[in-house]
Formats: sequence, C-alpha cells, structure tokens
Amino acid sequence: MSFSFLAPAALGLGALVAIPILAHLTRQRPTDRVAFGAMLLVQRLVKRLRRRRTIKDPLLLLLRVLALLAVVLAAAGPRLSWQGDVPDFGGSGRVVLVVDTSMSMALHDSGGTLLARAVAEARRWIQDAPDGARFGLVAYDATSRPLTPELTDDKGLVLGLLDELQPAIHPGDLRAALLDARRMLAGEPGEVVLFTDEAGPVMIPGAREELGRIVAAGSAVLPVPIHADPPRNVAVTAADYGDGLEGGTLTLRVVNHGPTAREVPCDVRLPDGAEIPVFVDAPPLSEAEVRLTVPREARGGVGQVRCEDDDLGLDNARWFHMPDVGASRVLVVDGAPGDTPTESEVYFLERALAPWGGVQTGVRPDVVSTQGLASTDLSEHRVVFLANVSDPRPVAPRLREFVRQGGSVVIGMGSNVTAERYNAAFGGVLPTPLRSPRALAALGEDPVPLSLPDVAHDLFEPFARGGRGAFRSVGAWRVMTLEPYTEGGDVTTLLRYATGVPALVDRSVGTGHVVLWTSTFDDAWTTFPLQSVYLPLMQRLVAWLGGAGHGAVQRVDALVGQQVTVSVPEGITELTALGPGGDSVRVVVSGDEGRLTVDAPGAYRVDVADGPPLAWVAANTDPIESDVRRYDSVARVEADLEPELFTRHQELAWPALWLALALALGGASLARRVPPVDPAAADDTPAAEEAA
Amino acid sequence: MAPDRDGPPAWDAEVLGRVRHLHVTARVLTDALMMGVHRSRRVGQAIEFADYQEYAPGMDLRALDWKVLGRTDRRVVRRYETETELACTVVVDLSGDLATGAGAGTSLPALEGTKAGFAIRLAATLLYWFHRQGEPVGLTIVGGEGIDHPVLPVRGGRTHLQLAFLQLAKARPGGVADLGTQLADIGRRTRRRSWVGVITDGMEEPATWLPALRAFARRGADLRLVHLFDRAEMQLDVGRAAVFYSPEGGPALPLDPQGAQADFREIVAEYLEEVRRGVITVGGQYVQVATDEPLERVFRRLVHGGSRPVELP
Repeated sequence: MSFSFLAPAALGLGALVAIPILAHLTRQRPTDRVAFGAMLLVQRLVKRLRRRRTIKDPLLLLLRVLALLAVVLAAAGPRLSWQGDVPDFGGSGRVVLVVDTSMSMALHDSGGTLLARAVAEARRWIQDAPDGARFGLVAYDATSRPLTPELTDDKGLVLGLLDELQPAIHPGDLRAALLDARRMLAGEPGEVVLFTDEAGPVMIPGAREELGRIVAAGSAVLPVPIHADPPRNVAVTAADYGDGLEGGTLTLRVVNHGPTAREVPCDVRLPDGAEIPVFVDAPPLSEAEVRLTVPREARGGVGQVRCEDDDLGLDNARWFHMPDVGASRVLVVDGAPGDTPTESEVYFLERALAPWGGVQTGVRPDVVSTQGLASTDLSEHRVVFLANVSDPRPVAPRLREFVRQGGSVVIGMGSNVTAERYNAAFGGVLPTPLRSPRALAALGEDPVPLSLPDVAHDLFEPFARGGRGAFRSVGAWRVMTLEPYTEGGDVTTLLRYATGVPALVDRSVGTGHVVLWTSTFDDAWTTFPLQSVYLPLMQRLVAWLGGAGHGAVQRVDALVGQQVTVSVPEGITELTALGPGGDSVRVVVSGDEGRLTVDAPGAYRVDVADGPPLAWVAANTDPIESDVRRYDSVARVEADLEPELFTRHQELAWPALWLALALALGGASLARRVPPVDPAAADDTPAAEEAA
Repeated sequence: MAPDRDGPPAWDAEVLGRVRHLHVTARVLTDALMMGVHRSRRVGQAIEFADYQEYAPGMDLRALDWKVLGRTDRRVVRRYETETELACTVVVDLSGDLATGAGAGTSLPALEGTKAGFAIRLAATLLYWFHRQGEPVGLTIVGGEGIDHPVLPVRGGRTHLQLAFLQLAKARPGGVADLGTQLADIGRRTRRRSWVGVITDGMEEPATWLPALRAFARRGADLRLVHLFDRAEMQLDVGRAAVFYSPEGGPALPLDPQGAQADFREIVAEYLEEVRRGVITVGGQYVQVATDEPLERVFRRLVHGGSRPVELP
C-alpha cells in the first residue's frame, strides 16, 4: 500500500495551519463589563469550566488544525494505491473462459467436485456478463481443447459446453490452454478468466511464459481459484517389486497430501490374483512406505494396489510389474527309468536341479516317464528336459508349441536316442539335425574334456568369478554327432569338447529355446554328473532358459495418456493388445516397434498372434496430479510479470474534504459547548474600582 | 442598575416618597390578605380554660383537677389559653449584590427592578402585616448603605413601625452582608418563640452562613428564609461575552455565556438545593422567590408555609 499526491506542491498550503494556532494564542477578550448579582454561581461555573477547558481547548485547536490540514490534503490530490488479489482489468467484453479439467479437479469438496464448482462459477460469470459480451471456452487437462472455435455471443452455447465438462485423469497443461486462449483473442485485448485449483508444483511455473505473452498483448488473466479447504488426498505413488525374504518384497509408497494423518486401508492384488490387505498410516503432508513380503511362489505379470480414499478416487489404484516368483517348475522326462532310482537316467539330473527339495534352489523338477509326458500340463513348466527319450514324436507337437510360446526344451542323448526319430519329431526347431552316436574315446581311456566356456555369454557369466576351470574336468567318451551347421543367427554353440565336437548347442525359437546336450545326463557317456560343475551348470541352465523365456516379455511403465513403444521381434507385423477392461487396444506396428496409447490406468498386455505375451504395460496416473496442494498462484506470477495490473487506486480528495467539513463542524460544536473566552484570565480588580 | 453611592439626604422628597409608597403598598396588600385576626396561641398558666390533658408522671401536681378526680376517678390536668405577643423580626439583606436584577413591578423609585427593591417592599409589607396583627415588630438590615439604624429592636406602636419604614426607605444596597456573622448575632438576640423572616439572595458561600441559622432554632424561633433571586441572573441571560463582576467586589471574570448555559443550570440547581436543605435542616422554612413574582403570591407562601422542593427558575 502506498500513498501519493497528484499535486504535491499544494502541500505548501500547509503553512496555513499557523492560522488557527495564532488565533488560539491571541484569543480575544471581551470588553463589556456586567455587574452580576450571582457572582457566587459564576465563580462556581468558571471553576467547573476551567477544569474542562484544560482538555477541550487543545482538542478544539487540534480539530481546527486537522480541518485545515484536511483541506490542504484535498488540494494536493492524495491517492492511495495498493495491490489487489486479482488484476484490475475488465469490461473489454471479450472473455475467454479457461476451465481446468485435470485429475485434481475431481477432488471432492463439500459434496461436489472442484470441477462442478468451477463450472458453476463460470456459469455465473456468463450470466452476469452484460449484453454484447463475447465468450470463448477452453478446457484443458493433458491437452488443451478450444471448445468454441472463436469468441461468440451465444451464451447458451457456452453454457451447454460447460455442462459437458468432465474431469480427466491427466495432469493439466495450463500453458497450452493459455496459448489457445490467446489465439482465440486474436491479438486484441481481452480477459482470460481461469478456473483452476492451481494444484501441483509444475502447472503454474510451466505457464509463466505464456502468461507473460497474454499480459504483453494488453490482456489479463483473471484467476478464479477453486480450492478445496483444506486440500486432502491420499495416493499410491509407487509400488516396486524387489529382492527380499520369501518371494521378495513389494514396496508401496503412499502419499498423504492432506493436513491430517490418515489410516488408509489398501489392498494389494498380485498378478496371480492373490490379495494382501494392509493398512497404511500416512502422516500429514508426508509419504508412508510399506513393505510387503511376496509369497515364495507367485506368477509374474501386472499387479495392482488400491487404497480407499474418498477425496480423489482416480488415483486410488496403482499398477506394478512383478516377475515370476518362486521355484521354476522344470519337467524332466526320464527315458530310461531303470530298476532302481540310482539306475534312473535322471538320477543325477534330478538331484542337481533340486539338491534340497527344490525350494531353496528355485527349481522344482517334475519327473515323468515318456508316457506320462502326454498327460502333463506343459504350461506350468518353463523348461522340459528330455533325458534319453527313445521316441519323442507323440509329444513333439506339444513341445514345439511349448517352445514357440517361450518354453525351452533341453535334449539329452543316450542309447535310446535315435537320430531319425528326433529329426522327424522336432524338425525345424532343432539347432541342427542329429546324425549318429560317436565314440570320442574308448572306454577305459581318458574321456575327451570340455573346452573352457566363454564367460562373456550370459549362460556362463556366473563362472567368471570362479569355477570356469572345472569345465576341463568334464570329459566324454561318446557323443551324438550333429549335422554340420552354421553358427550365428539363432544357433549358438555354447560348449565344445577339446576336439571341437559340439557339446552344448542352442537354438532360439521366438522367445523359446531348444538346447542339445550331445552327451548323456547320467554318467553313461560322460563324467559330467560326477564333476562339481554339473550342479551349478544345470541350475544356471534352467535359470538362463527360464529367465530368458520370461525375460523376453517386455515390461513397460507408462503414464495415462502416453504413447507406449514395444520392441517387435523380427518378422512380426501384427500385434494385439488388451486393455484394463479386456477391451482390445490398437497397436500400430512399424518396423521393429509397436505403438499403443494407454488411455486409462491399468494393465495392458501386448501379444503376438498365437504367441506368448510380448509385453506388459502398467499404466498409472501421474503422481504429480495427485498432489492437490497449492504451490503457487496464477495471480502471484501475473503480479510478478505486470504489477500494475494488480494496482488499485483510490482518490482521497473528496474524502479529505468531507473530513475537513466534519472536523470543522466538530470544532464548531465544541466551541459552542465551551465558552471561547478563557475563564482562567480572571481580572482580580475589585468591582468597585472597575465600576469607577 | 447600580445604586447611587452618595445616597439621598434624610427626609428628602425621594425618601418620603418611598416611605409613602411602602406604606401604601403594605397597607393595600395587607388589607387584601386580612381574612381574620391572627391570634397567637400559647398554652400555659392563664385565666381562660383551654382543655384537659391526661396526667402523666412528672406533671405539675398543682394543675391536677381534683374535682374531676373526685367525680370520675380520672387523673387529668387543666390547661389554659392565654393571648400573648408574638415578636416578629424581619431581617433584610441589602448587600451590593441586591442592587442588580431585572425583576418587574417593584415600582420602588430608584430601585426599580432590583432585588433590593423587591426585598424592601416585602419587608415593609411583613412589618405592616404583623403590626396590624398587634404584634411588636423589629427590623434588622444587613449590608446596605444610608441607614441610620440598621437594627430596630422588637417593639409595638405606630411610631416604631414608621421608623422601620423610614429605615427601609433610606436604605440603598451596597457593601457586604457577611451573613454568617450577622445571622449568628441576630439569632442570639432573638426572643424565644418569636417569628423571624430573613430576606436574602444568599450570594455568599452557603457553608459560611447556613450554620448560623442554628441560633434561631435554639431560640425556638419560627424561621422563614426568603431566598430571593432574579430569574435573568439564574438563567445567565446576558446574551454576550463580557467581564462579569460583583458589586460587592471580588474578581471580575470574563465569560461567554453561550455554551455554558447547561453547566450554569446545573450549578444553580445544586446551589438552590444546598440552601434549601440547609434551612430545613435547622428547622426553618425555605421560601424561594423570584423578583418577577407578584408580591401577593409571595406573601401568601411566606405566611402559610414554604420549604417546597426547589423549582428551577
């Protein structure tokens, strides 16, 4: 607030204030003398007046001086200036109403949403506007939507458009909305009336530049803040799966944007449908972190956390990715069970895969015979070991489908294996056709050892820290030879014997694998089961195949409204996707990329036709929009840009004149009540002498 | 209206005119008011029987009516009525302050409209009234100038009345009354059970003279205090700023009556009430008189009683 004068030179008239002071000092004495018979009473009166005048005389002088000063003040043209809350701008008749429809405007307050209040305010603006005023309407959330192409004087049209506004689940882009409003004003001065909750830390700073442009164009933004009192909201801002006890830890972060502490009931739904209820104590204006232990076994996919909060329901849920958790189920097909367990073809393999029962190693083998394979549900398994199976042809179609859906088949040789049958059964999915068994060394001689593996390969990466040399101790007397093949592309030789004969060959089929172990899983052809590297390699092989299989599923986090890109395998030209409600979502495939837009929060699954899931998308609302608190105000930013817009002026000349009049009247009234003659100036001359 | 400082010589035409005027005024008014003969009654030992009274222990046994006792076995005493003289003293304040005033109808030459003129006429009328009643009268003038005998003791006779009239006719307001001292002195000299009328404007601090009235009470006198005032003065009806002074002397005070009327009214009311209470406290009767009141009405109030609540002028 400041004070100024239009004609400060007139203040020089203030010297006139000396007039009443001088008049007061040179008070006139009466000259008439009156003989009075009741002087006793006059003396009493004077005594009383003298007491009173000690107060009233200075007051009278003060009133007169102030009256004169008020006149001088009025002549100087005093003006009071102060900063208002909103710009002092209006009356242009060109008004663009900008309504915030971002997610935070769905906040409930006093029985309705902020958007409903904003619409009601906007309606009042329109209805109160004078005839001839022209209106435009812009709504904005993630994008700006000019709802009228230009300014119109059709109030009914604008009112109707206002009634159709609904809160979105996106954050607000105020900058874009102001840009549209400026375009609608077409470079001429006008008013942009902004109905917004001003919530969040980014919306207003992001619009500062555009605000400046509007002001520079001679227009003004008149903010109509629609605030909840107090703003409250509880939102789940993160759900992350990580290592931990049991099957791992799910870390939830719940933010309380309100001023009071809240205990929020939440429900965690894992991808396999398991539910974990939890209560979260969220301190005011702070974040609470809750860690949940995931069961030892849980299927991977997209899970959901939902917390109950009535203030803003759109951000109550959050979707998160979770990998497969727990033991990898491995199917081991025993082609030569033998009479006793130790004579079984898979005796060593079974123990290498699950030396303590399968739980702690993360691998749980299911051992079946060749006949039992036909009735086994392969979908529960990630890897299938065929150990010396004589004729895989009856189950070959299922195994091929299994591989195409991301599963892996590891084929071990033995005396029962016949090249023709395998080549016929697996045909195109084998790394290379089998040829025939061949002796590398005579029994009784030293077996041919393996070469050292390439630890740069993902399969052998754990052996880089130690154990790589143990591969040399693995030897074989006999192997299944293979038809010549060319490495590269989808066929890789993972291990070879010292003579160069392939020991372990892999072929990628889509997201699945077919791996040939050219020797046996037992000790019939090789010393491999008897060597220390057997167990870790088998464990690693399962992990690599299982991980690789599921690792192929892309996991993408996205915000609602974003366009999501997924990698498309070579040769795939068409992808399908299912949205949260089971609705089909269009995926545009271009080269090795597929794009889809996530319009609603939830889990999206992208599939290759007749194939396993290619990608999971967890789409969530923007946590920034959950923060319903005010960090800044449009008015403040605008005041920074153009303070004069907010300056109010009040001319005080007339009030000063009225004040002078009131003071003068007060002085006159006081003068009437108190005799202007100073009774203290008593003349002690005896009356008789006076009379003489 | 200031009095003439030098005053007229004794037996000059003006004084004689005043005497005549006072005599005429008093007689006319007295005749008009004379509805019956005043008889002063005092119960005591005399010849004419008055009534009986029940005997009470301590009464004089000589008054016991033995005949009645013998006939009726009742003990009564006889009481007798006797005619006696009522000593009437009129005290007139003619101090300098009484030279002022604007009262109407006094018609007393040279004192027309003044409080002194009114006081003199009222005193003369009272003296004449009591004289016609056959009562001895006395006159004491406090303050005043040109007076040969300021104190005339209580006596009967026409000559004494004429002398009192002469004193009143010669008197001019002036000087200071010194009411406290004068009234105390008069009180001591007053006969028991006499009638005393004090005519004054009371313009001295009441605390200095009201206690002196106790002397009258101690003598059993029937005290009537005529508090004389001028209505214009009591309303501070001067109309302009001026320097106010008292004819009796003292400080002159510049004052603009405008704006002070309300305060002055309060002071007047407080003052009148103070005097009234003071008079009543000592057993006297208080009669407030404005100089513009008809003398007849004032006289009736004075004779038949006063001490009514103060009516603000």
